[in-house]
Amino acid sequence: MRLHEYEALDIFEQNRIPVPRRELVSDIHEALRVAAEIGYPVILKAQVLVGGRGLAGGIRTVENPDQMEEAVDELLMREVKGMPVRKVLVCEKVDIARELYLGMTIDGYSGKPVIVASTEGGVLIEETAKAMPEKIAAIHIEPSFGYYPYQARGLLRMLGIEQKMITAWSDIIGQLYHIAIRYEALIAEINPLVVLSNGGLMAVDAVLEVDDSALSRIRFPLPDRVDRIENPLERRGREIGVTYVDLDGDIGLISSGAGLGMASMDIIGQKMKPANFLETGGGITADLLYRCMELIMMKPNLRGIFINVYGGINPIHEGAKGVIRYMQEHNLRIPVVAKALGNRQEETWEIFKSGGVHVVTEAATEKAVEVLYKLVGPGDKKAGRKANKK
Amino acid sequence: MSILMNDSTRVIVQGITGRIGSAQTHWMLEYGTRVVGGVTPGKGGMSVEGVPVFNSVLEAVKETGANSSVFFVPAAGVLDAFLETIDAGVKLIVIVPEHIPVKDVLKMRSYALEKGVFALGPTTPGLLVPGMGKMGIMPASLFQPGRVGIISRSGTLSYEFAGILSESNVGQSTVVGMGADPVVLRNLADILELFENDPGTDAVIIVGEVGGEQEEKAAGFIARKMTKPVATYIAGRYSPQGKKMGHAGAIVRGSTGTVAGKHEALRTAGATILESPIDVAKWAKKNKLR
Repeated sequence: MRLHEYEALDIFEQNRIPVPRRELVSDIHEALRVAAEIGYPVILKAQVLVGGRGLAGGIRTVENPDQMEEAVDELLMREVKGMPVRKVLVCEKVDIARELYLGMTIDGYSGKPVIVASTEGGVLIEETAKAMPEKIAAIHIEPSFGYYPYQARGLLRMLGIEQKMITAWSDIIGQLYHIAIRYEALIAEINPLVVLSNGGLMAVDAVLEVDDSALSRIRFPLPDRVDRIENPLERRGREIGVTYVDLDGDIGLISSGAGLGMASMDIIGQKMKPANFLETGGGITADLLYRCMELIMMKPNLRGIFINVYGGINPIHEGAKGVIRYMQEHNLRIPVVAKALGNRQEETWEIFKSGGVHVVTEAATEKAVEVLYKLVGPGDKKAGRKANKK
Repeated sequence: MSILMNDSTRVIVQGITGRIGSAQTHWMLEYGTRVVGGVTPGKGGMSVEGVPVFNSVLEAVKETGANSSVFFVPAAGVLDAFLETIDAGVKLIVIVPEHIPVKDVLKMRSYALEKGVFALGPTTPGLLVPGMGKMGIMPASLFQPGRVGIISRSGTLSYEFAGILSESNVGQSTVVGMGADPVVLRNLADILELFENDPGTDAVIIVGEVGGEQEEKAAGFIARKMTKPVATYIAGRYSPQGKKMGHAGAIVRGSTGTVAGKHEALRTAGATILESPIDVAKWAKKNKLR
């Protein structure tokens, strides 16, 4: 779960990382009050959960009260990369001498946290990493020993940082790592970490993404994660415990694994267009698949439904009961094709068939998708085939 | 022949008294797996599917001679049970559960590598040697004995590929789920090396997916060391990219992680790219695999 910038800045401040004066607002009156308190000029920052916000026009500098109304209205009306802006952070504008970069993430291949620093922070950091790799330094942390300050000092020496700044910067690296551990962060990032004109360091932006699998054991107050999913179908998916991604096609999909779901999308995408991605994980019950049917049918104008499930850990015969109960109760008219293999497959096929589902008993998903294609045809070919996430 | 499991594999099931643990013990025994014991702290002395239950892993190992373990332990308890299992001397561990915090997985991986333990997962269906046995949840009906190895990041797609091969009368030597999490306990290249060294395996299929850099790193191993044919399918061509969050990952990994990038790395290394799962049947036929 990614936290909003204002939430992450609060956490950084509580953990002794210097941050700008700031306050969250949702209308022009609050914005004028806060800006008067902080003093002009101020920076307005749209609070949306996407990267690249600055380049997408989500950050504005406001010099005086006259400019405020237009700037606030413009930000609140705007969508930044498809995400509506509901809140704006009004920040003190600080005097910046230099922009640095500091981040921590998990290197999946080595299985270790990695701390990355650069003397060239700012919106173009990824281009810098490619064009000038010598401006980027990274160190891995041994999970069994944890972080020690000498590692930060060594990292900064690699970048050629002068000694007087090494102490201040390595303190911030230590704090950021500490936050990442306490909040079980998959990403903790400050871009830019700025050198102020008085020589001090300050985090003027904050990224914190918390490990969803660890939410139940984090002892610090965190906002409800379901609330922050903007798409209502995706939010409903999270509520019932499945992964749902809203797409722009017209073939509903239910799969029992992420890999199988992705492959199903790839194969459906060859001739038709998936309306969604839905993956149940290992928790199939009759009720869950009933709710999955409800969920995918919330999308209007579906032409067909494709169900692709394996009975390894999942009781697929129970799942089949949920599907046909939905079909009967709602008098579903569109074709439903199911490929269901594994434990208790014969029983599952019988249940599906009794409800009017077209059952495919071969392993290749391509063959099952072909059965569906013969039933529904290509549909509207003009719409983009490529998946387009809201 | 096979990798990881053989005639001397003696399996304990951790979390055997749970709903999933007991159901899967039934399927593993039915497939011929030598399940010699189970562990659930506090439930020692019970029996599940005729298998004795012990209070600790050490006790189970001492009483049964177990050398391998499969986990159906709730996610919050996996790290603790994993360290206990390594300390009890078990050398092969399969972690089926999903939703284990990454911080725990980092510790598990570090300790397993230090102690020379081969561990698979988390979020893996486990492994299956057709006709011999299985550790995990793979549905047995899809597999048949043969000489093709399969390594899959996705559980369900490992079934799909085995199923397509079996329908074409091409059997499998061993099918390995390496786990679907961003951090897994063993990297793809390590498993590939086992297949390269296995006299019972003639060719290997890698079933990957978009994201991470396992396939790219494995391509290096294929180019340097692999003598057996390798075919690969990467799922996720039409998958929407997740909302990008932070730059740190992109800086560390560069452009790796895309389907196109993985295809390029693997093709350059000499692997055959399968555009769609069903193409694996044609590839097996062309290479005269069985």
